[in-house]
Amino acid sequence: MRPRAAKRVPSTRASLIPAVLSLLLVATACGSGGGAVDARPSGPPQRGGELTVLADASFGGGWPTGLDPATNTTGGANISQMFAVYGGLFQLRARNDDGSGAEVVPHQAESYELLDGGRNVRITLREGLRFSDGTPMDAEAVAFNLRRAMSSPCTCRPAWPLADNGVSVEDPRTVVLHFTRPYGAAINSMPTSNANWIASPTALRQLGEEAFKITPVGAGPFVVESNKLSSELVLKRNPDYFEPGLPYLDKLTFKSIGGDQPAYQALLAGQAQAYEGLNTTPLLEQARSSGRLVVTAQPPTSPYVVQLNTEAAPFNDKRARDAIYAATDFRAISQGLFRGQYPVSQSFTGAGGLFHRDTVEGYPPHDPARARQLVAEMGGLTVELGTLGNYVAQQVMTALQTQWQQAGIKVNVHKYELSTLVQQFNSGKWQSMLQTAGAWDPASGVGVAFRFNSASPFSGVSDPALDELLNSAAATADPAQRQALYDQAGKHISANAYAPFGLAFAPANLATEGVHGPGLTTKIPPMLVNSGILWDEVWRERQ
Amino acid sequence: MTAAVATRPRLARVTSSPSLRLIGKRVLMAVPILLGVSVLTFWVLNLIPGSAAQQLLGAEATPEQIRALEQQLGLDRPAPVRYLQWLGAAVTGDLGTSMVSGQPVTGLLGDHLAVSGELLALAFLFSLGAAVPVALLAAFRPHGWFDRLSMLVSITGLSVANYVLALLLVLVFAVNMAVFPAIGFIPLSESVGGNLHSLVLPALGLGIPLFCMYTRFLRGDLVDQLQGEDYITTARAKGIGPWRVLLLHAFRNSAFGLITVVGLNLGTLIGATVIIEQIFALPGLGQLLLQAINTRDYVVVQACVVLFAVVTVAANLLADLLYAVLDPRIRYGSR
Repeated sequence: MRPRAAKRVPSTRASLIPAVLSLLLVATACGSGGGAVDARPSGPPQRGGELTVLADASFGGGWPTGLDPATNTTGGANISQMFAVYGGLFQLRARNDDGSGAEVVPHQAESYELLDGGRNVRITLREGLRFSDGTPMDAEAVAFNLRRAMSSPCTCRPAWPLADNGVSVEDPRTVVLHFTRPYGAAINSMPTSNANWIASPTALRQLGEEAFKITPVGAGPFVVESNKLSSELVLKRNPDYFEPGLPYLDKLTFKSIGGDQPAYQALLAGQAQAYEGLNTTPLLEQARSSGRLVVTAQPPTSPYVVQLNTEAAPFNDKRARDAIYAATDFRAISQGLFRGQYPVSQSFTGAGGLFHRDTVEGYPPHDPARARQLVAEMGGLTVELGTLGNYVAQQVMTALQTQWQQAGIKVNVHKYELSTLVQQFNSGKWQSMLQTAGAWDPASGVGVAFRFNSASPFSGVSDPALDELLNSAAATADPAQRQALYDQAGKHISANAYAPFGLAFAPANLATEGVHGPGLTTKIPPMLVNSGILWDEVWRERQ
Repeated sequence: MTAAVATRPRLARVTSSPSLRLIGKRVLMAVPILLGVSVLTFWVLNLIPGSAAQQLLGAEATPEQIRALEQQLGLDRPAPVRYLQWLGAAVTGDLGTSMVSGQPVTGLLGDHLAVSGELLALAFLFSLGAAVPVALLAAFRPHGWFDRLSMLVSITGLSVANYVLALLLVLVFAVNMAVFPAIGFIPLSESVGGNLHSLVLPALGLGIPLFCMYTRFLRGDLVDQLQGEDYITTARAKGIGPWRVLLLHAFRNSAFGLITVVGLNLGTLIGATVIIEQIFALPGLGQLLLQAINTRDYVVVQACVVLFAVVTVAANLLADLLYAVLDPRIRYGSR
């Protein structure tokens, strides 16, 4: 795996100018077409070199609160930067380059053990781990960080059912987590939470929180050289990294950029060698045909879902929910808008996620006639549909509006910012929201419970039976039992027409020729949104 | 005593200087303008729906966490109280600390202002440096081939949005020709050549539409002056050559209008830097402002908007002073 881991215009004629220029822009951009680039390296990994990675300013390229795991509030978007600085106790690796066989494996941790049916988790650290300031990364340091992580304001703090004083140190290399109930998903939730990133307590004390978040100290593959928040993070190789021979790169620079198009052009211009999280589908196709970039579309884990608020009209009436299921044809949307590149899911996990099933037994088929009949029975149906603004979500929302209107449903669409979206959920008056559900492991991150548990403010469902299924599935450590419980939960959601699932989308990563690394040029399922690129194993072929 | 007697007439001369009175008047007028801008910004920021604390903490934050952060940031106090506290500190030069990063805002503005200031200066230098000779040449022979060509170029430039132009520049000069970098900024302190090299495309992205606008404006005004003004006819009757009439008479008069347009343009230009800085990944004020808006960092947004207002007011003051330099009637206070 490792070597391959890879002013006004007076005339109509003048008004055509922008259109002509736009076409020219596209034509110029397409002009260098040359087909797909071979992602396979020409030989074994080579040490040395520098790499500049671009990330969208509105997501991964924004780290406005700094990189202290306990005070960073955008942790889910900054997994790359965090991995590069801290390394991580655990990491998600894929056994195969196509992203299959993915599992969470110990990294700075040497091993783990679920005890008492998942009520306790014992984590053993590797021997001789040291932070880049020379202090030991021992169990005390890990416990200190886990306690800080639990009190963090970040949405990336672990959602563990941790008992009071639930972190204990057994010996210098062993930490034990104590839960109030069995929690089998504890380890799988690690790489998406800030508990995974262990900061040097000594450096934190010496620098103070304000300075530490700018120049954090961890035991990861790279050391911070300079950090301009949400603009540029320059890292240099950590010579004391615990993995012999790693990291391959001497220098790694993260740069924030204003979107997919400028990033794509910067790669073509040779100003950067990688881009994380390409969302704009037409650019994806352009990048593939450019003949200059390696495009790695990650296996999707989180499908879109149309959440229906079953607590308020009109979706407290099952007929209205049934009408939405019958009026919705996500396959047509996937084919028509995205040329089928995003597979359609019938449940809360995409094809790249754990416990995924291609179909759910009894899932209501697309049936516009039935939708029209239900709408007529109800004497008409008017629906408010909202979503957060991004390219794919808005395209899908517009398509849904068209499909629903064809079934006689009147649809008003709304684009929200995060804060106004949250207000909608908190008001309880929202009707339907196009969101993503699930995660690589449905019990971790913004998992299935986030959208379907009665206690979640972002759920449109209040169903104790479903709660029980989801809680039990998160608790058990037995994969077969978890699969059975999630299958039941999928069927239960479908039978009650709680929320039709849609295409499962995952962003793509771009790299220039000669750059290789797991998660960048090979597939690793995204834990949350972007894939966790293993930066210590990323390398460049010498020119 | 003798010194006091000698100082008084000097002071009287200074205070009776029309130019200084003009500056004084303009500076005094700037105070209510800046106050108005700061009140308006604060008010608008408070009207935005949603909680800043919610935005900072993310979707999963509990109401208790949101309340605690609001208390910590002082967002639980009434808006007028918060405004007066901000204003009291701002007049002493303390613009507060970023709600998101905890960094002092004055320092943040200083770091980012250098990049945007240099970008704006280069954009103006290019646009004016190119527009004046092109407009003079076009006005020298109206409807001639050069005039028509300059009109075509100007209309094209004016018709294209900044961001399209910027992307086109990158495609041509960075991707295809590889002569300028597509992104990034090299500080002046690191390399003067590298600094200019890194700012050529962003400055062209900002400057080309300005060049087109200034060219059309100046060419139109020059042609009007040359064709309809008595002083031009008099100059020609005296036997002054056409180029001298154009440069020393018509252009001097037309410069007033150009100065006004340039002064008024600055505000629009600052808005355009927000987009240009994103495309070229420049760590300037535009980038800072956009990030602050995205994260609802009201303190930084407020400081940025007030700074933009100060720069715009200062630019207009400079334009007024240039009128005084160009027109002795203003300088000596005649009507």
